[in-house]
Amino acid sequence: MESWVVSNVVVALIVVGVAGLAWFGLRDRMWSQALGELWCRRRYSVLVIAFYVAVALLDSISWVGGMEAQSDTVARYKAQSILDRLFADTRERSYSAPFADREFYGGAALQRPGSHVLGTDIIGRDVFYLSLKGARVALLIGGLTSLIAIPLALLFGVSAGYFGGRTDDLVFFVMSTLASMPGLLLLIALIMVMGKSTLAVCLALAVTSWVGFCRVSRGETLKLRELEYVCAARALGVSELRIIFRHVLPNLMHLVIITGVLMFSGLVLSEVVLSWLGIGVDGSWGQMIDQARNELSREPIIWWNISAAGSALFGVILAVNFVGDAVRDILDPQTLRQGE
Amino acid sequence: MSSRWPATRRHRLAWMLVVACLACTNNPYPSSDSEKKILYTSFGDAPRTLDPAVAYTTSAHVITGAVYDTLLEYHYLKRPYELIPGLASDLPRSYRSEDGGIVYRFELRQGVLYQDDPCFELGGAGRQSREVLMADVAFALMRIADPDVNSPVAEPFSNVAGFQDFTARLSERREADADFARRPVRQQYAEVGPIDGVRVDGEHVLEIALASAYPQILYWFAMPFTAPLPWEAVEYYDGRQGRDRLADHPVGAGPYVLAEYNKQSRFVLEANANWYGALHPEWRAPGAVYPFEGEERDRQAGRLDPAVVGRPLPFIERVEFRREKESIPYFNKFLQGYYDASGVIKESFERVIHEGGLSEEMRALGISLEKTVQPSVYYIGFNMDDETIGTPAGERARLLRQAMSMVIDAREYARLFMNGRGVPAQSLLPPGIFGYDEAYENPNRRIDLERARQLMEEAGYPNGIDPKTQRPLRLTFDTPDTQAQARLRFEFFTRSWRQIGIDVEISATNYNQFQEKVRNGSYQIFMWGWVADYPDPENFLFLLWSEMARSKSGGPNTANFSDTRFDELYLSMKGRENGPQRLAEIREMLKILERQRPWIELFHPEDYALYHGWLTNVKPFGMSFSTTKYRDLDATKRASLRADWNEPVLWPLYAVTLLSLAVLVPGIITFMRERQ
Repeated sequence: MESWVVSNVVVALIVVGVAGLAWFGLRDRMWSQALGELWCRRRYSVLVIAFYVAVALLDSISWVGGMEAQSDTVARYKAQSILDRLFADTRERSYSAPFADREFYGGAALQRPGSHVLGTDIIGRDVFYLSLKGARVALLIGGLTSLIAIPLALLFGVSAGYFGGRTDDLVFFVMSTLASMPGLLLLIALIMVMGKSTLAVCLALAVTSWVGFCRVSRGETLKLRELEYVCAARALGVSELRIIFRHVLPNLMHLVIITGVLMFSGLVLSEVVLSWLGIGVDGSWGQMIDQARNELSREPIIWWNISAAGSALFGVILAVNFVGDAVRDILDPQTLRQGE
Repeated sequence: MSSRWPATRRHRLAWMLVVACLACTNNPYPSSDSEKKILYTSFGDAPRTLDPAVAYTTSAHVITGAVYDTLLEYHYLKRPYELIPGLASDLPRSYRSEDGGIVYRFELRQGVLYQDDPCFELGGAGRQSREVLMADVAFALMRIADPDVNSPVAEPFSNVAGFQDFTARLSERREADADFARRPVRQQYAEVGPIDGVRVDGEHVLEIALASAYPQILYWFAMPFTAPLPWEAVEYYDGRQGRDRLADHPVGAGPYVLAEYNKQSRFVLEANANWYGALHPEWRAPGAVYPFEGEERDRQAGRLDPAVVGRPLPFIERVEFRREKESIPYFNKFLQGYYDASGVIKESFERVIHEGGLSEEMRALGISLEKTVQPSVYYIGFNMDDETIGTPAGERARLLRQAMSMVIDAREYARLFMNGRGVPAQSLLPPGIFGYDEAYENPNRRIDLERARQLMEEAGYPNGIDPKTQRPLRLTFDTPDTQAQARLRFEFFTRSWRQIGIDVEISATNYNQFQEKVRNGSYQIFMWGWVADYPDPENFLFLLWSEMARSKSGGPNTANFSDTRFDELYLSMKGRENGPQRLAEIREMLKILERQRPWIELFHPEDYALYHGWLTNVKPFGMSFSTTKYRDLDATKRASLRADWNEPVLWPLYAVTLLSLAVLVPGIITFMRERQ
């Protein structure tokens, strides 16, 4: 199956999934209250995240055809996203400053004078377009990695905490071993072995980032398994798996959400570091920053490239951190108790 | 407080502060050196080795070239490059031996001494130096042939009769006899016998007999690899009992000695008092006096000033290399006068260069600019073994390669990524190399989008559509460079090819994975560069000789190009002296490449070098060859200008002090008042 078809299916699934979760959340009193509280506390941050998500979706829905008017013949046969179509044929020859009508070096006339809001890069690509495209990569890195790391951490953490004994010893040994390795070196080694691709970067980031949450979920499970209702279920002969799924996991959900949100920003920043080292994901903000790193020392200075990528990155990280902070306040029982 | 800090002490402290402020300077060198003829330059990373048989980098040759004198040298000013005698009394005579092979006969000047060094005590107590002998050159050649030395230039010397045989004999003896392998190398070489084609005749004559015609071998005698090397240095500097390794302690007969070698901070070269140019100025040896002739532009640039021509070398008494890891601080220090020469860094290009010349600001500082085209070529190569783009696809692939060649604008590439510092290449031969034709214009390197589209159609890819898939033709550009900045450069190419409907994917992997692909032949397009070892067209054309094909012999012909006629011409021109016949053969070879397009020639990089007004006789050389002995400088002028340019700017210090006082004093007063 073509990759763009997979992408469209994933987008559809995400949209259906989010709608389903929203429907479920609004029906459940606790979750609807929590969502309402979040909206009241971090309205602007939520809107900022929603904007990034919308841009990412626009860049994920793609199809072939409809580009016959394009000068680029290859583009006619390749799937183009809505974002690509909006910015088709906007390339210039080289650098141009924001809203400029001439090239930055040499002063040649631009094909689209005054239309590049954030200028163009060294090979004439519109920086605003590149910044918007970075949103998809950032959400993909943060989202996909969290989707791999959190279930992995839950599997090991809950198993270790609930069953204890040898399982606990084994999981703890794996966690300690991983935690004792320098994270960045492990990341680089994994990417070198798996090859440079978005999935490989996500897997490598997941392998190096699940340990923290695993430790937390193990501790929480240790506490939960001793609670009366879990003991009662065990005494009534309920199977271990059923106890885990019915009584333990639901009580870890608030931790999953808090960790997921907070992990997201860390993962996006990690990708920037990887891009700096030349092993990041194509089209990311990290790659933009890396490509533009020497431009700040040029005379005259080229500031718009790095500023655009940095601002886009800053915007999403700040919004996610604000939302993460609020989610923790809203969902963490300890914080709630302190508040009372 | 007043009892602990009496008034006299406070005054003394205040005076010390004032004096310290007034005396403060940013000069990184001792003031006692300011009037001396010391050339200040820099290095990034220390060379891995200074062993003359192994060192093959420009950074190493800056040192080894100055410390090890060679039998031959390049003329400093003449272009095309010309060989002159160095330690040899004249250029070698060549004659045919009885078996029809070519023999070169070198004669060494008598009475040439090595630098003073403790290693010579091995030859007799109290000895500090000794005479240079031809046996030392033979010893250096045997080291190149020695597999344990692992010299990177052993291959070109395989043209010397018996060279490979010596290597085989030495290896066999070492494997068969462990005791033999433990003996000093000089003894080992003596036991296995000399290289057949390297004949020492007395103390000052050496004959080199070639197994096959290879006139380019003379250029290797102008490089440190073949410089006479005293056996004492090899034996003494073995890294044992606190002694240096030969890789860190060169011992030669050159114009300079390495007086200090700290890989982390600085190297110092000092004039060699034993150098033949210093001991025997009356010889007026071509390598020991400033040249009398040069190009017209040398006359215009003042490099043939009557006051300087014919003067004994070297002019500069000491060269200091300071470690500079970053280019921007280095350039700033150059502008302050603390370095004498610099390249033009990309970040400051617009500030330094204006419309191809120096900017007003640089001219006001008395800085000069020298541009030189390097004897090198950068190119995009096609894997000619590939089913789609190579020879197996026949005429179709040839037309495809021609079309791809016609849309790559090397001038635009140089403008975007190299600040225009590159001459668009029409063939693989750079300017200054025999066979280069300034008027030649390669029809397949002319940017012609319409013709390229037509060629695509003739190749069976109308609008770039592959009839097999009914989609744009998909190819892969393989590179070992995974940096984001490199990706931009490669995107420039892929974007050009998209204009004719070819969809080229960039496959950036690490170097090992890339090498693996090259070994397996699973690559289609790549970008590469070649810097000449010596100024001869053979050193470029061999890159496409079928015997050098990567898939066949692991050689540098990564394009795996194979053409019978090209090979015939190569073998014929290789053994010829420069002349009309050779030129005709080279032209025919270039025509084959023009039609077959195994490469898309991109550019010959251009060096922009900046020099302060006090540094004279500077001419960039292009080849990896030490030119330090020809340079001169006016230390008095430099000291005066440095002082003018670096007057301490003290007002910010005073302003900060006053501001601090204005903030601190009321604070302290308030604090004290509150405590009371």
